[in-house]
Amino acid sequence: MAPILLWLIMVLCLLISVVKYLMGVILRLSSPRAKAKKDYAYQPTVSVLMPCFNEGKAVYETIESISQSNYPGDKFEIIAQDDCSVDDSYEWMLKAQRDFPNTRIRTGRNEVNSGKARTVCNALQLSAAEIIISIDSDCIFHPDAIRELTACFAEPNMGSVGGRVGVRNPNDSIITSIQTIIYFSAFQLYKIPENYTRSVCCISGCLFAIRRELLLQIEPAIRARNWFGIPVNQGEDRFLTHQTLLRGYGTYINNDALCWTTVPNTLSVLFKQQLRWRRSIVRDFFFTLKTLPQHVWKLHPNTVFTLVLVPLGALVGFLVAVTALTSDPLAWVGPMPLVTALGVAAILSWVVKKYSAREALAHPLAFGAYVAWSLVSSLFLTPLALCTMDSADWGTRTKEQQAEEQKEGGVALGNTNS
Amino acid sequence: MATPTLDPSSSEAKVKAIPSPKRAPARQALHYRLVLTLYRVFAIAVLYLVLTGILTYAFVMGFYAVSSSWAAPVILSASDEKSLDFRQKLVTSQQTIEDLKVDTQKLNTGLAEMTKHRTALLALEPQLQSAIARERKHNLATGPELATLDQQKQADNQKTQKVLAQLKELESNINKDLAAGLITKGDAASQLSALNQAQGNYTDSKIAEVLLTDNVLDKTTTGTGSLDILVKQAELRSEVAQLDIAISVAQKQLHEESQQIDRLRQAIATAKQSPYFLNASGGQTLYFAFVPYNNQASAVAGKPIYDCYLNMVLCRNVGTVKQVFVGEENATHPIFKTALRGFLIQMDLSHAESAKSQTVFLGRKPLFF
Repeated sequence: MAPILLWLIMVLCLLISVVKYLMGVILRLSSPRAKAKKDYAYQPTVSVLMPCFNEGKAVYETIESISQSNYPGDKFEIIAQDDCSVDDSYEWMLKAQRDFPNTRIRTGRNEVNSGKARTVCNALQLSAAEIIISIDSDCIFHPDAIRELTACFAEPNMGSVGGRVGVRNPNDSIITSIQTIIYFSAFQLYKIPENYTRSVCCISGCLFAIRRELLLQIEPAIRARNWFGIPVNQGEDRFLTHQTLLRGYGTYINNDALCWTTVPNTLSVLFKQQLRWRRSIVRDFFFTLKTLPQHVWKLHPNTVFTLVLVPLGALVGFLVAVTALTSDPLAWVGPMPLVTALGVAAILSWVVKKYSAREALAHPLAFGAYVAWSLVSSLFLTPLALCTMDSADWGTRTKEQQAEEQKEGGVALGNTNS
Repeated sequence: MATPTLDPSSSEAKVKAIPSPKRAPARQALHYRLVLTLYRVFAIAVLYLVLTGILTYAFVMGFYAVSSSWAAPVILSASDEKSLDFRQKLVTSQQTIEDLKVDTQKLNTGLAEMTKHRTALLALEPQLQSAIARERKHNLATGPELATLDQQKQADNQKTQKVLAQLKELESNINKDLAAGLITKGDAASQLSALNQAQGNYTDSKIAEVLLTDNVLDKTTTGTGSLDILVKQAELRSEVAQLDIAISVAQKQLHEESQQIDRLRQAIATAKQSPYFLNASGGQTLYFAFVPYNNQASAVAGKPIYDCYLNMVLCRNVGTVKQVFVGEENATHPIFKTALRGFLIQMDLSHAESAKSQTVFLGRKPLFF
């Protein structure tokens, strides 16, 4: 009975994924409603909140890209908030403030290290703008990004709008190639059906716009997030999106609002990032289950299914992988998964090359390695996430790492990921 | 839409840390601490368990990738389809042998009869030849003599005929004498009787001449009688020839059937070496195991068999290899689930439950403990 149930859930999750990707293609080609009504004349005041921790020079580059925005200069500001970085991030912030006088840049610094979510809240205190855009401090933004995001708020019920996150380093390694395809397909296909119902379940924290009054409503909940008394400072983007939906607002991804992030290019960094994301998914899933009647009552069925079944799939994926490995250990190295992955790679890399030349892949068939990664992901990430829910570790950059780097080679100015 | 601008005043600000959420009441804090402690203990246990499981799994995979002494016990039930099929075929073969035996017996008997008959026919041939030769020789000798006699007889008869012509005149004279009363009736009758007798003798002599001529013809030319004998001779030879063919066919059939019997007996003998035959024969419980060809070197009759916990450790001797079967079998790898080619062995198990183990090891303990 139990294995049947597991397979049933897995099949449902896969079905939802496949249906969503197919629906994404269909809706992109056929339905205008999948795209939000944009009004570029609507130009609210905007605060771009940039929490930062140990990002070094990347902070400067990020501010530089934002300052080149074509949004009216008197309508937006950058609030860079340093979360007690131990490197020279704050100095780079100040340098950017000096170097880009035409842009209103405000800098702040937490008194104690508080984590990304609370740093955003702290930065929010300095803002009086109508629209708050939270960004990652290691991303590069398209000049149209702010304009594109704010234009979507012309729809009165729009609560949060996200941008499309592209990959800056698609050809660094096999790992970055795989992520490029996944990022592209997720934004361009997977989230389109969610866009159609204005119920995107997770807007990326790289480029997240939200109405100020809504963020103020949610802020206490962000600050109160904890795991049996331990503050939770991860997955604020998923949490914010979820809260937006529960408050009756719409969420949307505007694929014309572009930003570029540097994705992990080593397995260990990728693993830590994915572990952090998986913790967020699990935490969000528990929250969904806890308030399921509220979800069923308020949200679109597509949203509820996505919020429940996809994380459930990640949870039972471990058991399914174990069952598969014990009943037919070599099945995953058989030709079918590889052929499927290569087929997907061939199609998607062609699409990426055509529609996003900047992300064109040098070795598209490297996506075949996704078969191995999916096995690793199913086997390790979920149990590890479940067993480290009390961890506040960001994973990809810690104080200890930074201190070590400083000891070894002075101030590190390299680009890192958040 | 009204779009206010931002206040361009201060461009730098220090943000005071927003105080963390109020500390939970002592009771709740205790509750949290308790839950967290339990969670962490549980999490560490689970993670170690997962880690151990993964390492064990990886080791098992590696171990079975290189091990060359494992065998997978196979339980053949009495109602095993292959065994039943085997048994059915065996019974059919045995029945065929019995039928063939009856056939060969019949053929042997028929063959003996035909041979006997042929011998008898062949024995007639020289006798016939001898009789023909003898008769021919006799004819050659008597033929000309009879021909001479026939000629003499013909000459005699011609003479007699002439005499008889004179007798007719004499008969007339007798009748005249009688009529004239020269002679008595008695004398006349006596004289006429003598004349008739002479006539009769002549007729007899003529018949004898004809017969003699006929006889001469028989002895000097090939007549129908001789032809009859030749026909009989030909028939005799034909019958012998037919018998030869029938005997040859029967011998061939006998040979074929004998060979078929041998083949079936050989097949049955081979079949008796099969585990399925042993299983189908019923009686005591038998234990078998599948051995892949890669592990063939370990499958030697008499070698000890070990059964282990977790498929590889804490092994114990559970019996020996009793018999190695030659027929090829296909099976699924117990761990990798891939298709394998190999053969079966019969195990002499002292621990019957080992027949239910996923694998056993032949020859020695796989990890030396």
